[in-house]
Amino acid sequence: MTTLTQTPVPAAPVTWRHPGRALTAWLALLFVVMGIGLLAFVWQFANGLIVTGMRNTVMWGQYILFFMFFIGLSAGGLIVASGGRLFGATMFKPITRVAVLEATVAVLLAGVFILPDLGRPERVINILLYANTTSPMVWDIAIVVVYTLLSALYVWLYTRADLARRGSRLAFGTGVTERELARDERLKSALAWVALPAAILLHSITAWIFGLQISRGFWYSAIMAPMFIASALVSGLALVILLSLAVRRVRRVDFGDDLVAFLGGLLGVFIAVEGFFVLAEFLTAGYPGAPDESGPIARLLVGPYAPLFWIEVVVGLVIPFLILAVRRTRMRPGWVALASAIAIGGIFVHRLNLILNGLSYAPIGVPPGVAIGVDQGPAASSFAMTYWYVPTVVEYLVVAGIIAFGALLVTLAVLWLPLREQAAH
Amino acid sequence: MADKVSPVEALPAASRAYGEIGPRSDHPHWGMVVDQERCIGCWSCAVICKSENDLPLGAWWNRILTEGASLDQPHEGTGGLTMHWLPLACQHCENAPCVKVCPVQATYHRDDGLVMMDNDRCIGCRYCMIACPYGVRTFNWGEPSRPTPHETGMVAARPLGTVEKCSMCVHRLAEDQVPSCVWSCPTGARIFGDLNDPDSRVVTLIHDRQGEELLEELGTKPSVHYLPPRRKAPL
Repeated sequence: MTTLTQTPVPAAPVTWRHPGRALTAWLALLFVVMGIGLLAFVWQFANGLIVTGMRNTVMWGQYILFFMFFIGLSAGGLIVASGGRLFGATMFKPITRVAVLEATVAVLLAGVFILPDLGRPERVINILLYANTTSPMVWDIAIVVVYTLLSALYVWLYTRADLARRGSRLAFGTGVTERELARDERLKSALAWVALPAAILLHSITAWIFGLQISRGFWYSAIMAPMFIASALVSGLALVILLSLAVRRVRRVDFGDDLVAFLGGLLGVFIAVEGFFVLAEFLTAGYPGAPDESGPIARLLVGPYAPLFWIEVVVGLVIPFLILAVRRTRMRPGWVALASAIAIGGIFVHRLNLILNGLSYAPIGVPPGVAIGVDQGPAASSFAMTYWYVPTVVEYLVVAGIIAFGALLVTLAVLWLPLREQAAH
Repeated sequence: MADKVSPVEALPAASRAYGEIGPRSDHPHWGMVVDQERCIGCWSCAVICKSENDLPLGAWWNRILTEGASLDQPHEGTGGLTMHWLPLACQHCENAPCVKVCPVQATYHRDDGLVMMDNDRCIGCRYCMIACPYGVRTFNWGEPSRPTPHETGMVAARPLGTVEKCSMCVHRLAEDQVPSCVWSCPTGARIFGDLNDPDSRVVTLIHDRQGEELLEELGTKPSVHYLPPRRKAPL
């Protein structure tokens, strides 16, 4: 407190004006969380995945959940960058750089989230050495790599000229002549044509990891890929809104509240599409009547997962849609930010439901069920018909560490990259 | 992972003869028939599987499901109480979902139709467990805990962090011996043989008793066939 008042700057207490303290504390926090996450990962590597809450019954958990969640979050950059290009939406311009930065970091983190999920992360190179072309996971890793490179190229292309003006080495020797600037524009347009199909593939293939598995009735649905695209658009755009507002707060970009209202309206449309897909899926699956009450649809509507499902629908879809549909709230950035935050939460719960409901029940529902895979002691059964997955502390720490790594990347980019669009041209 | 030497050759001649695989075609496709009419739900095959293949506590390649409400409980069918078991292990599918999804080809088909695991290549992503509609794969979650400090198996234990499953006792097949679940069944409910040989006992049994595939509607084409119980009379 005292240091703030002692400084000669009399302006309002915007802590970022004095980056020293706040920034140091923030970076220190990120490094501590990353360090703890790394330790948790080492602990898990040494002891095996027994330290997680996963077992043979629910064999994918929080890591895969965050993998697909971050894949979805990476959609935001693309909507703003290539959408702006291909459909001539020039109002996106002030936040394009923030958006493509968000996409790059999100898809990078998604890739990182695969590692702690592996039982033998040190063998991950086998995916290159012995790639099985019929595996959707191989398709997905390929598109994640392509999309990461495209997004990074996007970030560079949009900041290159300003980096060159600063004389930064990150400009890789390029300049700011008329010809080079004209070439930038051509490249941006060309990239938009490549990036849009790449993004659609990214979300579709991630959906097909789940949606092509006939063994899991709840997942085996043609609507999986369209729904993944819709939920990616919701969470991706919502995060871009939040991040843009945050970066505006620290005065690294400038844009008006009218842009926030426009993005909010777009987000409302995406939420409506997502809600429509959820309705279409549940009506199709539920209308004929489930063969038995433990069917996946019944479980979500009235069964053990009903609270999560109704949170997804009411808090994640209905409330943010209403906030964004009403003009008075849509015009206020605070309300749009709130709607964005709970819409992101809703998509997270949506994906959580997908994992839990897809996996919690033994595929052949005959007693005693599936072998859990871990010694349960002499008093308990080795088998389970259902399994209630709860992530362990180790899983939370690893996830926190990876997210802190992403936050670090964003922070450094906000500090060092020219994110502000030059008004000159 | 070096395989241990199976002590089959140390067996007395009578025991060896008892476990020998019968006649087969030039290009055998190994398969199994499980006679649900004969199965008495004793779990002998499940237990010898654990011992033969050195499975730690909590892990099972082979288990016996009770068709009905709960383990070893009769259930009410049409016309009264009935009680049947469904011995379940890897079905060694011809159209195997696990083989399709494995990103590193660590699970693969042999020429004789068996679905195998390469535990030195497996990265432990568990996608095969997602894809398997029978739930027969098990993951090595932690350091194995065993009832005795001695290794019991005829094959080496699988490394931490990899997926494993029934190998149809491939180490025994190499010595012309049927899988251990087959010879150990007290009621002879399991029959092993060559599905490519039209005269083999497995093929004639499947034909004569209208053998069924488990989850046939999924199109996985299992190499294991089930003979449904004919006796419908109540207990």
